[in-house]
Amino acid sequence: MTDSILAILTALLVLSGAGFALVAAIGLNRLPDLYTRMHAASKAGTVGSGLLLLAVGVHAGDLSTFARALAGFFFFVLTAPISAHLLAMAAHKVGYPLYGESVRDEMKDYDKRI
Amino acid sequence: MTAQVILSYSIWLAFVVLCISFLLTVWRVIRGPTLPDRVVALDMLTGIVIGFIALIAIRTGFTLYIDIAISLGLVGFLATVAFARFILSRGGREGPQGETVKADMIRALAAPVPEPRRGARKKTAAGTGPAVRRKAKK
Amino acid sequence: MITYILSLVFAIVWVAVTGSATLHNLIFGFALSTLALWIVRGEMGARGYWRRLGRILLLLALFFKELALSAWKVAVLVMSPRMDLKPGIFAFPLTVTRDFEITLLANLITLTPGTLSVDVSQDRRTLFVHAIDCSDIEATKRDIAAGFERRIIEAFQ
Repeated sequence: MTDSILAILTALLVLSGAGFALVAAIGLNRLPDLYTRMHAASKAGTVGSGLLLLAVGVHAGDLSTFARALAGFFFFVLTAPISAHLLAMAAHKVGYPLYGESVRDEMKDYDKRI
Repeated sequence: MTAQVILSYSIWLAFVVLCISFLLTVWRVIRGPTLPDRVVALDMLTGIVIGFIALIAIRTGFTLYIDIAISLGLVGFLATVAFARFILSRGGREGPQGETVKADMIRALAAPVPEPRRGARKKTAAGTGPAVRRKAKK
Repeated sequence: MITYILSLVFAIVWVAVTGSATLHNLIFGFALSTLALWIVRGEMGARGYWRRLGRILLLLALFFKELALSAWKVAVLVMSPRMDLKPGIFAFPLTVTRDFEITLLANLITLTPGTLSVDVSQDRRTLFVHAIDCSDIEATKRDIAAGFERRIIEAFQ
């Protein structure tokens, strides 16, 4: 009984993780500029791979594996925003432009000052 | 037993979905158009590969794959950080089509170039010499 | 007294995580957790430690809720047939001052729906945030200030 519940839970996690990865990939292709693409990659992409890792932990069904999978999940969730932040900062400082229909850019003046 | 069957089918489906997203991301890497776009796509590729490794771990039952996935994530994170530092330190810009225009080349193109006279070659400034101009034209 | 109980609990967790329930491993875990608790002894004795721990856990729960919500929102946005985007970068005035808190806030902002922190100004007073939907910036700013920032201040000050 527990086995089948675990298997169903794993199946759900696997499917939703793959779905989020697909959504991130579609977003990477559909969104208009670098910064909006970063939204898709850093949120949906991270959640996708994190869910797949959690699925491994759930499927194994023992605590040590689950703890390792959880550690990996935390690691991804904590590093993804840092890399997105660094990349966005570098791109904006060097001067890659925002999407043409962007409403505002309050950082522009700040970049010129330094 | 049916639950196991559902699980194996969903793993197959997830493999297919991940393959599609892998190809879509590779398409973004190829198309660019700028370097940061490609770096974002490469970061995303690492995430998808981690997903693949997790799926293989579930299928084969080797939980050691989790450690491999974690170390791949570490390497991917470091690669992205290194790329960000590179973009920052390169300082150049790319044209709208994605071709690289180095900052010193822009300066070389913008600077007034004196007509090269015979015997005056030694006096030519480093950034405005004919060699640099030829490189900038490419 | 409470430190010893905590060490024992941590040692049992260690045994569970490493997956080998031998006496050696238990002793090693006990030594390890004692060392870890010794490192944070200054924080432990401080007033309101347990209340603060509860608030940190609350912050963590909020973080996961927002993460799930933001992934879902990105998914909905990407799959909608006509994407109605109003992206832009706005400046968020910071109330938190310490580097650690700013880092935490920036990370939390990145993983919330529709926002991505881009840079911190040199004087650490302003955080530049890229948002997918910039139609109502004041509401977004209020949400961040009343949600994450207030909770971070409650948890760490």
